[in-house]
Amino acid sequence: MAKPPPISNRIRELREQHGPMSQSALAEAIGVTRQTVIAIELGKYSPSLESAFRIARVFDLGVEDVFGWEA
Amino acid sequence: MSPAATFRNIPFREKTAWAMASILIGGAAFYLNMVISASRALGQTAPPFVGFVIAYVVVIVIASVVLMSALAATSPREANAPADEREKIIGDKAGNWSGYVMVVPALGALWHYAVNMDGNMLFHLVFLSLMLGQIAEYVFQIFLYRRGG
Repeated sequence: MAKPPPISNRIRELREQHGPMSQSALAEAIGVTRQTVIAIELGKYSPSLESAFRIARVFDLGVEDVFGWEA
Repeated sequence: MSPAATFRNIPFREKTAWAMASILIGGAAFYLNMVISASRALGQTAPPFVGFVIAYVVVIVIASVVLMSALAATSPREANAPADEREKIIGDKAGNWSGYVMVVPALGALWHYAVNMDGNMLFHLVFLSLMLGQIAEYVFQIFLYRRGG
């Protein structure tokens, strides 16, 4: 099994604070599939820099407020 | 979670990978069985079934179009959407890995030909290598979708 990337995120928490916003709604807002949002939330997939910025903009935050480096 | 809900949660491209892998595995098994049966009957490696291979490819294409259309009808939005960044990476990785799966038996086929000078066997092994490469690509896609990326 591949080691998950050492990037943490607060997407689930932020979605719950914003509405709550569904995974589908976030996926549509940033132009990916719902399964990709799920993979990002679970830390199984590290989004591209562009998607990271898009996610942060949806929540009106900076990238570093949404993502963190765990290592 | 109900089976219907589980099916809905599977990404469209993973569903297509399952469908294509199933079609190709069935086709490869059928072809292999035919070659083995014919070879046993002849007492030597059966000659290439060129007509069959062409018909086989046409049937595979038709079967995949029918299955893809049926899957697209169940989730038209996903079917029309372009692959996103994770799906593109999965497609690239699976394509890259499957290349190795295809090359290894193809090299084995060449080695077999160099040693035994059996052109019929070379044909069958190379054809099976091509099928194996395609099957591996879909199997790797399924693995990567299951893993997350």
